[in-house]
Amino acid sequence: MSDVHLTIDGTAVTVPAGTTIFDAARMNGIAIPTLCHQQNETPVGVCRVCVVDAGGRVLSAACVRPAEEKMVVSTNSEKVVRARRTLVELLMADHPSPCARQRQSNDCELETLARLEGITQARFPRRLSPRGQDNSSLVIAVDHEACILCDRCIRGCDEIRHNDVLGRRGKGFMAGIAFDYNLPMGNSSCVSCGECMVSCPTGALTNKSIVKTVLPGEPVDVDDLQQLAYFQKVSGTFLELNKNAVVRRHFKKGEIICREGEYGSTAFYILEGQAQVFLSTPLAHVQSKGGAAGFFSRLSSRLVGRQQERRQDEGSRATIPIDASVDLPYDNPIATLGPGDLFGEMTCMNLYPRSATVRAATDCVMLEMLRNVLDIIQRNKTLKAQLEANYRKRALDDHLRSVPMFASLTQDFIDVLRSKVELVRYTKGDVICRQGDIADAFYLVRLGFVRVSEPHPGGELVLAYLGRGSYFGEIGLLNGEGRRTATCTALDHVELVRIHAEEFHQMTEQFPDVRRSLEELAYERQTQNRQRLATATSTPLDQFLTQGLMEAQSLLVLDLERCTRCDACVRACADAHDGITRLVREGQRFDKYLVATSCRHCRDPLCMIGCPVGSIRRRNSLEVIIENWCIGCGLCAKNCPYGNINLHPFNVLEDDPANPGRQVAVVKQKATSCDLCTDHAEPSCVYACPHDAAHRVEPNEFFRWIGAPLETEARTHSR
Amino acid sequence: MRIDRTHRSWEVATLVLAVVSTVAYIAYAVRSPAGPRGGSALGLTFGIAGYAMMLYAGLLGARKKVPTWRIGRAQTWMRGHIWLGSLSLLLILFHGGFAFRGPLTAVLMILFFIVILSGWTGALIQHFVPSLMTTRVPMETIYEEIPHVRAQLCQEADKLVATVCGPIGSEEAAAEEFGGAVTTLVEIEQEDRARFRDIYLRKLRPYLSDPDSEHAELADLNRTSEVFDSLRRLLAAPVHPVLDDLENICEEEQQLSRQIRVYRWLHSWLLVHVPLSIALLVLGGLHAIMALRY
Repeated sequence: MSDVHLTIDGTAVTVPAGTTIFDAARMNGIAIPTLCHQQNETPVGVCRVCVVDAGGRVLSAACVRPAEEKMVVSTNSEKVVRARRTLVELLMADHPSPCARQRQSNDCELETLARLEGITQARFPRRLSPRGQDNSSLVIAVDHEACILCDRCIRGCDEIRHNDVLGRRGKGFMAGIAFDYNLPMGNSSCVSCGECMVSCPTGALTNKSIVKTVLPGEPVDVDDLQQLAYFQKVSGTFLELNKNAVVRRHFKKGEIICREGEYGSTAFYILEGQAQVFLSTPLAHVQSKGGAAGFFSRLSSRLVGRQQERRQDEGSRATIPIDASVDLPYDNPIATLGPGDLFGEMTCMNLYPRSATVRAATDCVMLEMLRNVLDIIQRNKTLKAQLEANYRKRALDDHLRSVPMFASLTQDFIDVLRSKVELVRYTKGDVICRQGDIADAFYLVRLGFVRVSEPHPGGELVLAYLGRGSYFGEIGLLNGEGRRTATCTALDHVELVRIHAEEFHQMTEQFPDVRRSLEELAYERQTQNRQRLATATSTPLDQFLTQGLMEAQSLLVLDLERCTRCDACVRACADAHDGITRLVREGQRFDKYLVATSCRHCRDPLCMIGCPVGSIRRRNSLEVIIENWCIGCGLCAKNCPYGNINLHPFNVLEDDPANPGRQVAVVKQKATSCDLCTDHAEPSCVYACPHDAAHRVEPNEFFRWIGAPLETEARTHSR
Repeated sequence: MRIDRTHRSWEVATLVLAVVSTVAYIAYAVRSPAGPRGGSALGLTFGIAGYAMMLYAGLLGARKKVPTWRIGRAQTWMRGHIWLGSLSLLLILFHGGFAFRGPLTAVLMILFFIVILSGWTGALIQHFVPSLMTTRVPMETIYEEIPHVRAQLCQEADKLVATVCGPIGSEEAAAEEFGGAVTTLVEIEQEDRARFRDIYLRKLRPYLSDPDSEHAELADLNRTSEVFDSLRRLLAAPVHPVLDDLENICEEEQQLSRQIRVYRWLHSWLLVHVPLSIALLVLGGLHAIMALRY
């Protein structure tokens, strides 16, 4: 290759042909300021800060202009300095100063350059329309305001990491960087490698310093972490920036690692040893009914199991879904986890309570990590593939078998599915499928919650919430049209097992039992949906919406013109439920009526979202039922917007960890809500009201009451 | 209980029973040469029936103690209590032939009249007063929660005033608590700040901490707006939003006081009705035993 001879700022230099002026100057110790150019990326010359006077009609961008024979270059002539200063001034006019990077580490390249150029005040007005921020990623904060459109992040993502996630959106004044098809970063296919953040010269892409708390445990070196298979492909820069977010923990045999119902924010990855996962809360529900004495008997509450009393519509699940790669068998809810197993994902990603108690079965070593680290792992393509492979190998069988209607699938067919199913992830708000879309897959929920809804005047009508172990998509595949009949949306971090239409049809053809069960279920779901839609359509929606009563199925209404505030209703409720009332005589007033605080058996039961063990659900009759494996964490009570779920404490015996072989009395809780005293013809609160003021009514009936004389209505609606 | 059209069947049944009893009594009184007596067959029948109705009416209290027993809806018991209890007076009068005779029976009849009168007073109160409570106390809370709500309102007022004057309490304590510096959200002159603090501590806080105090002029609904209007004239404009909030708190306090008053009207008649009813039933039983035995 021939050499090129040129002069830069009066110095004669010789460089290989093809070298840019920028590189030629740098190789000879002459610094040219730049913003968009990095040595490891293809030069694009978009910022023009590296302008030099190469003797042409206009100034040239040094990073892209090749050096030429006998070229005379000036990097600091008055003309060049003035042009560079103007460019920096223009960039600074739109730059929020100090930006996040300048605040964090005082090294924003643009602000440093402005300081060197002596720019303290912008001559140009700021843009009026804000470009906004994107905080959807757990690890990287995106501030479009601070972006100078240098494209370094885009080249880092595409050229260096080959992830092809970042690109440009818009044109001219509206231009900006975008993730995938202009999705929020957290919802995009970004693998959180951190290259864009490292490449960014300003505070447009910065590390979210979320690791303020120090986890108890032994800090782990980045090098040590990268020795582990799970962390090998994770960016070292990232691990360094988040090194407090993952620690090594040692647990002695018998030590409790986490307890069910506790709130946490970490996941555990087992390095050595084995851990036992179990439920310490009794598998039972609260039963309130009279004893053998019958007529004069007093209602009392006790814990009863499925064997003692099976309730109508009670589930017949053989397994209990928990926040780990395995489910717990119902009859003996204990499972063992070993090296390579990850547990606590739901708690970590969605901040739900722990779903089970985990005890070290042997001496154990584990990595405990915060969700920014777990998020990095889950986004990494290689690790994602590994997790998926592990899931297929170890958990798919259990997951499929936990669904009663798939119990008849043969092992051969499951082996076929094993190689075909796909594990897909969605973040909060992602639409999994829309009503009217082509039905191309059937989904099993592995993690998180999915909302099934239909568009309806006045808003989305929620048809169901589906948690771990639930499934959807069968209606569209089984009906002749092959179209989705509802919209499914991820309510939080959701992981689904996707069975493609082809395999689904193969399964239904090969296993007629499965097809029949699916068809029956599809029919049942469609019938329920039609009923709900009909109810909602005949509802005075505006009134319902304004009063927040749209979703109720049964309201406890007190006529305040009759009520003498004697509290007989509250006492009756407490008397019927071991002294723990399930109603409070307070709530929204509507005309002369008070909608008391008592379970409304909502059509959109928000209480069900997030239950870590999926124990709260709706009966086919649409009443809320709390299954026996409720762990008493209280999340449903927190989620109920009307304060209508209570926790009922019971004394139970539990193994005493301090004295092996002995038991100790501990208080466990079970969630309860108004059960309408279903053993009786009328709820106790209504039955015990001496003034004919308390009524249980459907919302539609209630709204028909308004304006009608109560004397006639009360007779009609005394139930 | 509200006496309305839903009581129609009870009213008719009571009226029919009353008419039948009256006809029977008149026929019996006319035919008895010595006049109607409690010891006669019909007199005893009236007495037994009347006392049975009194007992039934009295059992309502026991029924309320066991709200979950499925022995008839409480409202049915209440209707029976009102109408059969009222009818029992007529039957007992027929039983005694409208004469009081001995001292025990005289006491019994006086008690009976008071019980019936207090009962109907209670029925009238329960007919009208709940509506009054509903319209006049829109911010009604659970009666037992009132002291707690009041304490919260007082705290809320202190916090509001603290945004203008710094923490409530002595200046020294406030300065100590805040390390010598009193920071506030509302910017006003030092003089205004001191004046507002003084007014709050002298006039408003005594009322909020003891709303039942007779001296509190803020307890008077009509005076409240006058007091706050004069305060608005006295204090600088930046304090006015705080005054608005304080006025709302005072109004809520007034509502709570009103709720207590109305609640007491609703239930205080029971202080007469219940013990006298028990006494009546006990003495009535004693009278029956003595009359039958001796």
